[in-house]
Amino acid sequence: MNVKRQLLALLVFTLAFSLVGVTGIAQGQVVKNPDTLIIQSIGDPESLDPSFAYDTASSFVFLWNVYETLIFFNGGRTDQYVPMLATEVPSVANGGISRDGKTYTFKIRSGVKFHDGSTMTPEDVKYSLMRFMLVDRDGGPSWILLAPILGFDTQTTRDDKGNLIPNIWDLANRAIQVRGNTVAITLKEPYAPFLNIMASWSMVVSKRYVVQNGGWDGAKATLAKYNNPEKPDVQELFDKGSGTGPFRLQSWDRGTGTVTLVRNTTYWRAPAKLARVVIQKVEEFSPRRLALQNGDADIIGVDRANQPAVTGMSGVRIVDDLAELVTSPALFMNLKINPEANPDIGSGKLDGNGIPPDFFADVHVRRAFAHLFNRERWIQEALRGKGRVANGPIPYGMLGYNPRGKWYEVSRDRAIAEFREAHGGQVWDKGFKFSVLFNTGNVSRQTAAQMVKEAAEALNPKFKIDVRGVTWSSYLGLMRSKKLPMFLVGWAADYADPDNFVVPFMHSTGTFTGRQGYSNPEVDRLIEAAARETDPKKREQMYFKLQEIAYTDVPTIYMVYPVGFTVMRNWVKGWYHNPIFFGYGYLYTMSKGQ
Amino acid sequence: MTTFIARRLLLLPLVAFGVTLLIFALLQFLSPAERAALFVTDPRQLTQIDSIIRKYGLDQPVHIQYWTWLKKIVRGDLGWSQTARMPTGRAIATFFPATLELTIYIFVPLILIGVWMGTRAAVHKDRFLDHFSRFFAISLRGLPSFVWGLIVLMIFYGWLNWFPPGRLSLDAELFVASPEFHRYTRLMTVDALLNGQFWIFLDALRHLAGPVLTLILVEMALLVRITRSSMLEVLRQDYVRTARAKGLDEPVVINRHARRNALIPVITLTSLLFVGLLGGVVLAETIFNYPGIGKWGAEAAVQLDIPGATGFAMFFAFLVVLGNLTADVLYAAIDPRIRLQ
Repeated sequence: MNVKRQLLALLVFTLAFSLVGVTGIAQGQVVKNPDTLIIQSIGDPESLDPSFAYDTASSFVFLWNVYETLIFFNGGRTDQYVPMLATEVPSVANGGISRDGKTYTFKIRSGVKFHDGSTMTPEDVKYSLMRFMLVDRDGGPSWILLAPILGFDTQTTRDDKGNLIPNIWDLANRAIQVRGNTVAITLKEPYAPFLNIMASWSMVVSKRYVVQNGGWDGAKATLAKYNNPEKPDVQELFDKGSGTGPFRLQSWDRGTGTVTLVRNTTYWRAPAKLARVVIQKVEEFSPRRLALQNGDADIIGVDRANQPAVTGMSGVRIVDDLAELVTSPALFMNLKINPEANPDIGSGKLDGNGIPPDFFADVHVRRAFAHLFNRERWIQEALRGKGRVANGPIPYGMLGYNPRGKWYEVSRDRAIAEFREAHGGQVWDKGFKFSVLFNTGNVSRQTAAQMVKEAAEALNPKFKIDVRGVTWSSYLGLMRSKKLPMFLVGWAADYADPDNFVVPFMHSTGTFTGRQGYSNPEVDRLIEAAARETDPKKREQMYFKLQEIAYTDVPTIYMVYPVGFTVMRNWVKGWYHNPIFFGYGYLYTMSKGQ
Repeated sequence: MTTFIARRLLLLPLVAFGVTLLIFALLQFLSPAERAALFVTDPRQLTQIDSIIRKYGLDQPVHIQYWTWLKKIVRGDLGWSQTARMPTGRAIATFFPATLELTIYIFVPLILIGVWMGTRAAVHKDRFLDHFSRFFAISLRGLPSFVWGLIVLMIFYGWLNWFPPGRLSLDAELFVASPEFHRYTRLMTVDALLNGQFWIFLDALRHLAGPVLTLILVEMALLVRITRSSMLEVLRQDYVRTARAKGLDEPVVINRHARRNALIPVITLTSLLFVGLLGGVVLAETIFNYPGIGKWGAEAAVQLDIPGATGFAMFFAFLVVLGNLTADVLYAAIDPRIRLQ
């Protein structure tokens, strides 16, 4: 048996074993390690430098725990803010937002100490924002501030040849100004989600600490040396740091995948209740589950398939049906398939043995598949019923989500009618053959692909769909080369705003639309206008309109807004959910006790 | 013998070169985008695949990529292992001691019990001890190692809470991370004793017990069977009969005359076993969340972490050459008829 098969067998066996379960010794346990919260997670951070990390595991460790933002989310809301390192939330009413919607002024809190003992100043704030934007590693998060501040034509600090744009420092330096105890940020164009972005991505680091450890000094002349670092560990905050948060980073043992945070005793608010937080990487589910049972872990990562193994466990609670800012997966249809050496479109012609590259360019084909795919059944089968049927890119509950938005009913007759109209009736007469690919290991996507196949093949004996699993790397490669006729992939929010969903899913320059060849000038216009519009009511109407187009054009079949769940010991107190939180919640409010 | 050892050691760079060349050649079957997948773990990064390919030179011809990599190797830079979150050389230095420690704790009891049981089974052929050892061997081999691993984990951690997974418990881990604790060898039990921290020594032993027990259970069977069959063959030899005819005591006949000669195939097996264990025992390390080199090597290979996988392969090739060399030297030590040339 090769390693891969053994690992697969291990997975199956683990699940079976876990389902059988052991009663364990959880009953009547006293609180173990009462001032230390232990979290066992599946992944480990990529880097603890806020300007480099762009993964959930990293963000969970440092965001708001080690590094704080200028403003924060109010409780579980993603559209209301409270001050954090700024003393008030900017608004037009308090003069924090200029009338033209371009300049945001933050009054910086005084007397806040960094973990290295230095006092936070507005200069630190400006430096942190500049550093976040200008370090800009390939595949990193810098665009999140770069684009709204310098304009959406500036997604990176480098030109097409990979060279640093000569005036990029000047542009950033001009856009962010320190005036007394305030920091003013002037955007190229008004951008409605900007406050939301600041609530998640305006992490403030100690400039003194960074420079002392050999980091960028903030000067234009030295920027090139620090831009796009080749390796994560050349950055000075890779495995250490100095923020203002309620916890300071004690250690990151990459050998065991363990991060340890300790209470910041000089925190500007009341110190955290927990003295220590330990985040451990435990890839295998069985030891995680047993650690929870034995009280050696307080919170563990569990995927939906393993949920039954922790349900009913003594001393453990599961908080389910948690809203998530996720639209995943969706079923994309490729309107301009790359036919070059592409076995997934068969003959490349509409002759019953393949499909032409523009097969999905005909809206009737797309509508036919939308009528075919039974999303509710898929949610039941693949997600154990946990999720809400989607009707567009914007997740349920977010501004712009239209609860009355239409979607295609599951109907065999309507699917047949659409197929009969497609490509002048040739689709129905000649049939087709193509592949739906999924990345191996992703059972829910495999189930969806299989359901599409079964539904289509049951309609007409001339319809043939192959379902093919490939590795994530191959999947990515094929997606990039636009060879996938139909593919399943999803999106999780960078920030809690509909713009972060409609752009990748619908804008002609979007992450997914670029891979499926979908372009609609009216869609682009609406997205750009909605991003500039600051009146929520007007924005909502624009997003409703976009949902209508998503329905009529249907380049993508939106499948589900999934819901999450968290598994923890009963003795964990103070945990609360906000859909924007990464990982397992906000550590500051948490404690342990009976 | 010195010349022999030196010549064999000289083979090392050649073997390493061959291994890395092979890995590089095989990787060329994957497109640059596929190889960039390691850095693109989230659909949010899809738009940046091209710049990642450019940054890491993944679209360069293979000989240029190989040459660039080779130049770095000469400078002692094995590259960044994305899966280990550290440079590859450091990853090997971090993960290998854990596996070495595990291997040592497995190997000694494994050899002692395995050879003893195999010998007893041969001496008592077709009697209870022989039947028992056969049954024992078949039963242990009958289940894959991950099943034994999960059984051991469930019983000794889930029910009894004796042998927890990982390498240390929380208190010990925090103490080891503190400046008070010096890591001399990176073998936790040894370092604990050298630091005079007996409680950490015991804690490390508790954590080693699960994977050690699992791997002994799994690997024991083969050793017992090989020792038994080798012993049976030797016991039929004329010189054994002569030794008995001379009136030597049975323990002397068995232990000094027969077993010594029966050990050649056992040495072959154990050297392979030792190298195999040192290369990491992926499933046991995964199940017991033990931070060994096998778990990392497998992850690096699966995730196309090229520097990680190549560094691991080179290191493993080194171990194989060293293991074979050790076996050859041991042959000569045990059987004077074998001369190293």
